[in-house]
Amino acid sequence: MDALTSLLDGFGTALTPVNILWAAVGVLLGTAIGVLPGIGPAMAVALLLPVTYGLDPIGAFIMFAGIYYGAMFGGSTTSILLNTPGESAAVVAAMEGNPMARSGRGAQALAAAAIGHFAGGMVGTVLLVALAPTVAELAVGIGAPDYFAIMVLAFIAVTSVLGSSRVRGLASLLIGLTIGLVGLDQMTGQQRLTFGSLQLADGVDVVIVAVGLFAIGEALWVAAHLRRGPGEPIPVGRPWLGRSDLRRTWKSWLRGPFIGFPFGAIPAGGAEIPTFLSYVTEKRLSKHRDEWGKGAIEGVAGPESAASASAAGTLVSMLTLGLPTTAVAAVMLAAFQQYGIQPGPLLFEHEPDLVWGLIASLFVGMVLLLALNLPLAPLWAKLLRIPRPYLYAGIMFFAAVGAYAVGGEVIDLVILLVIGLIGLGMRRYGLPVLPAVIGVILGPGAEQQLRRALQISDGSVTGLVNTPFAVTVYAVIVVLLAWPLLKRLAARARTARSV
Amino acid sequence: MTTPPTGTPHSTGTPHPTGTPHPTDTPPAPAADRGSWLRNHSELGVCVLLLALGVLVLTDALTMDVDIAQRGPVGPRTVPVVVGAGLLLIAALLAVDVLRGGRGQAEAGEDVDLSEPADWRTVLLLTGVFLGSAVLIEPLGFPAAGALLFWGAAFALGSRRHDRDPLVAAVLSLVTYAVFNNLLGVPLPGGPLMGVL
Amino acid sequence: MRLRTPRGRHALALFGAAVLVLVGPPLLTTGDGGDTGTQIPGLRFMVPNTPGGGYDITARTAAKNAEDAGLTHNIEVFNLPGAGGTVGLSRLVGEHGNGRLAMSMGLGVVGAVRSNDAPKTLADTTPIARLTEEQDVVVVAKDSPYRTIDDLIGAWKERPGKLPVGGGSAPGGPDHLAPMLMARAAGIAPRDVNYIPFDGGGELLASILGDKVAFGVSGVGEYLDQIRAGELRLLAVTGPERVTGLDAPTLQEAGYDVNFTNWRGIVAPPGLTDAERAKLTRLIEKLHDSPEWRQSLKQNGWDDAFLTGEKFGEFLEAQDERVVSVLKELGL
Repeated sequence: MDALTSLLDGFGTALTPVNILWAAVGVLLGTAIGVLPGIGPAMAVALLLPVTYGLDPIGAFIMFAGIYYGAMFGGSTTSILLNTPGESAAVVAAMEGNPMARSGRGAQALAAAAIGHFAGGMVGTVLLVALAPTVAELAVGIGAPDYFAIMVLAFIAVTSVLGSSRVRGLASLLIGLTIGLVGLDQMTGQQRLTFGSLQLADGVDVVIVAVGLFAIGEALWVAAHLRRGPGEPIPVGRPWLGRSDLRRTWKSWLRGPFIGFPFGAIPAGGAEIPTFLSYVTEKRLSKHRDEWGKGAIEGVAGPESAASASAAGTLVSMLTLGLPTTAVAAVMLAAFQQYGIQPGPLLFEHEPDLVWGLIASLFVGMVLLLALNLPLAPLWAKLLRIPRPYLYAGIMFFAAVGAYAVGGEVIDLVILLVIGLIGLGMRRYGLPVLPAVIGVILGPGAEQQLRRALQISDGSVTGLVNTPFAVTVYAVIVVLLAWPLLKRLAARARTARSV
Repeated sequence: MTTPPTGTPHSTGTPHPTGTPHPTDTPPAPAADRGSWLRNHSELGVCVLLLALGVLVLTDALTMDVDIAQRGPVGPRTVPVVVGAGLLLIAALLAVDVLRGGRGQAEAGEDVDLSEPADWRTVLLLTGVFLGSAVLIEPLGFPAAGALLFWGAAFALGSRRHDRDPLVAAVLSLVTYAVFNNLLGVPLPGGPLMGVL
Repeated sequence: MRLRTPRGRHALALFGAAVLVLVGPPLLTTGDGGDTGTQIPGLRFMVPNTPGGGYDITARTAAKNAEDAGLTHNIEVFNLPGAGGTVGLSRLVGEHGNGRLAMSMGLGVVGAVRSNDAPKTLADTTPIARLTEEQDVVVVAKDSPYRTIDDLIGAWKERPGKLPVGGGSAPGGPDHLAPMLMARAAGIAPRDVNYIPFDGGGELLASILGDKVAFGVSGVGEYLDQIRAGELRLLAVTGPERVTGLDAPTLQEAGYDVNFTNWRGIVAPPGLTDAERAKLTRLIEKLHDSPEWRQSLKQNGWDDAFLTGEKFGEFLEAQDERVVSVLKELGL
C-alpha cells in the first residue's frame, strides 16, 4: 500500500512533459545505439553518460532507464534480422528469430520481441515494486552452491538443444567449453590456452563467439553453396502478428519474466542463462516442436521477455542494496555517484522522489519502447530485401565492426574469422552451433561457482549441497532425469496388466 | 602479411564446371577408389580436429604449473582435464559413428543450394578479403579497410555492379566511421591522410 | 559492346569511393584550433577496465570535472579492458609520442603487470600524476560473530582455511594484497589463507551480506553507505590513519603492522616532448585545484593524494618493488 502511494507520486514525477521527453529520447538513442554492432547496453549507457550531464538527476536517470531498455531491444533487432547479436542477452533470439526473418516473418519476429520486451519489462517492474525489499534479501542469500546447482540444471537442459545426433551435439558443446576455458583462470590467475597472448587473457567474449559462429559462419557457408540464378528476394509477408501468432505467444510472454526477473536480481545472474532457460522451456512446452530451429515464434517471445525482466531484476539489487549485478548496473551506479547519490540501503529513504520517479518512468519507457518499435518492425524487416551479395557483405562488415570498433584490436578480427571458419565446418558436418554458444556461456560460470563453493567450504564436498535451495534444485534435476524412466515403467506396468 | 587472393572476375560468377567437392582436411589421394572413400568419410577430419583439440587442451592443462596454493579438490587443471578427456572421447565416438555410416546433415537454408558441389573458391576469396581488410585497418584507416571488406565480400558473392558497389561500400564505411568516431567518441583509425589535410 | 561508358563509370566510381574513404576522415575530424592554456583538443582518456569499474569512475569523473571547470573541451573517455589493465597498458605504450592520450590506472595495474608477466610495464610510460588514495576496509556482515578486529584475527589464526576471505580483485590485485599483508602481520602463512576472488565489489558485497565469506576486504568508497546503514560492520581500515566519520581503528592501532592504501593516477604514453608533458601535467594540476574536483573527492570517499611528475615516477617504482616482493613471498 505504501509502495503504491509512493509509486503514484512517482508517476507524478515521471509524467511531466519534460520527463516523458527524456524517457523518449533515451529509448530512441538506446535503440539506435543498441543496433550498432559491438555496443551492448553497458557500453551504450557509458557512451551516453555525457549527454545527460546537463540534466537534473531525475531527468538523467529517467533517460538512463530508457537507454538501458532501448539498447537491450536494439541488440535483439540485429540478432533477428542479421543473425548478428549485439549483446549476449540477444544471442538466443537469433536462434528462432533469424530463421523467421529469412522466411519473410521478420516483422512478426521483431514484433514478438518488442512485445516480449514490453511484457517482460512490465511484469518485471511490477515485481520490482511489489517485492523489492524481499527479493533483495533473498538475492543476497543465494551463494555459490546454489549457482552451481542452477548451472547443473542448465547443462541438463542443454541436452534438449543437441539436435538429431547426440554425438555431434556433444562435440559442439565441448568445442564451446574449450573456447570458454581460454583466458586467465578466475580463481588463481593461471593462464589457460592463452599461448602467452594478453589479448586472450580475458577469454573470448561470448558475443564474438556467437557472431563468429552465427553470422560469419553462415556467410561463409552460404558462399560455399550460394544459390545461383535469379534468387528471389525474401518475401515480405504480412506486417503484423496474426491471431495464431498471438495464440502461440501470449503464454511465452508471460512466462519469460518469471524466469528472467529472479536471475536479474541475484548477484551473478545476468541475462544469458535465463534467456537460454526460457528458450528450452518454451521448446519443451511448445505444441509446434517441428518448427523449432526453423522459426518458432515462441522461441523469440519467451527469451526476449525474460531478458527484459532480468533488466528489471537488476534494478532491484542496484536500488535496494547498491549491488550492481550486471555491467549496466555498474555503470548506472557510477552515474548515481556522479550526482552525489549513493544507491544502497538508504536510497529509498534519502531520495524517494528520485527512486519512485525512476521506477514510474520504467513503465513510461516500456510504453514508449513499444509505441516506437512496433510500427518500425515492418520497416526494419524490409532491410532484408536488399540483394544477397549486399546482405551477406553487410553482415560480414557489421560483424567486423562489432569485433573491432570498441577494442580496436586487429587480433579480435582474426579470432572472429577463426570462429567463423569453425562455424563453417560445423555447418558442413552437421554439428549444431547453439550447444557451442551455450558451452561458452555456461562453462566458465559453472567452473567458477563450483570452485568457489568448494573453497568456501574449505574443500569439503558437502559445500555443494549445504543450502536448501541447492538441494531443491538437485531434487528437481533428479525428477527431470527420472521422468522418462518413470513414464516407461508406468507404461510397462500398464501393458503388463492389460496382457 | 596476408594478401587477398585475386580471383578472375568471371570465375566465381558462374558455376564452374570442374567443381569437385574438395574436402577441407583430407589430402587428395592418388588412387581413385581411395579418394572416393576419403571423400565419403571426410567427416573423419572432424574427429582428427577434435582429437587434436583434446590433446592441446590436455597438454596445456598438464604443463600448467600449479605451485600456488590450490585450495580444495578442484584446481585450475581439473576442468580442462575433464574437457580434454571429453574431447578425446567424443572424437572416438564420432569416428565410430562415421565408420558405421553415420553422416552429419549439412545445414540447409534459404540461400543454400546443397545440390551444387561446394564452391570453396568463394569461401577462400571471402576469407582472404576478411583477413586482408583486417591487416589493412591500421595502415589505411577504418573507412578504407571497411569499404574494401564490403566491396570485396560483395564481389566474392557475385555482385558485379562496378559502378555502384565501390560507392555503396565507401558510403557505408564512412558513415559507420562517423557514427563511431564523431558521434559516439569511439576512436577508429582514420587513415594515412589524418593530420596531413 | 559499349566500351567507353561503363569503364569510365567504373573508374569514376572507384575514384569517388577512394576519395570518400581517404579524404572523408580528416575532414570529419573537427578543427584543432584553440591550443592554448590548458586546452588540449582531442584529448582522450583510456580506461583499462570495464565501464563502471574503479578506473572508469576516476577517468569519467576527472573528464567531467575538467570540462565543467572550463579547462578543456570534451575529453573522450573510452574503455579497453583486458588482463587487469595490461592490455590497455600495452596499447598506451604503443602510442609512442601521442600527447593527446592518457590512461587512468592504479595499484591494480602494477599488480597485474607482475602477475601476468606483461611485456610492457609502467616504467615504459610517462607518469603524469597520482590523484587519489583509498583505504581498504575489513568488513563483516552485521550478524557476524566477530565484533572486533581482534576477534576476527584470533579466529582466523586458529583455522585460516575455515575463514574464507573475499576480495573484489583477481589474485595479485589490491583486494588480494591487503588480506595477504594482514595474514603476514598476524603470523598466518600466506598459503593457508583462503582467498576467494569476486568480480568486483558488487558480487563481493552480496557474499558478505549473505555470510558466504567470513569477512571481506575492499575499497572504503564502495561500502560507505552499507556501513552507515549498519548492514556491514566495519572492523578496521588498512591505511595509516583512521577514516573520518567511520568508527574503526587502523590495523596498526590494533597491533598489526599493515600499512596498505590503494591509489589511482594518470599515466601518458612514452616519448612525449617536454612541452606536451608539461601541458598535460598543467591540465591535471588545474583540475586538482578546481572546486568541482574537491566536490567529487568528497562524494566518492576518495582521499586527495596529489603527486606529479618525477615524484610520481619514483612512487610507481617503489610500488612495483613492493608488489614484486609481496607476490614473491606469496609464491605467485
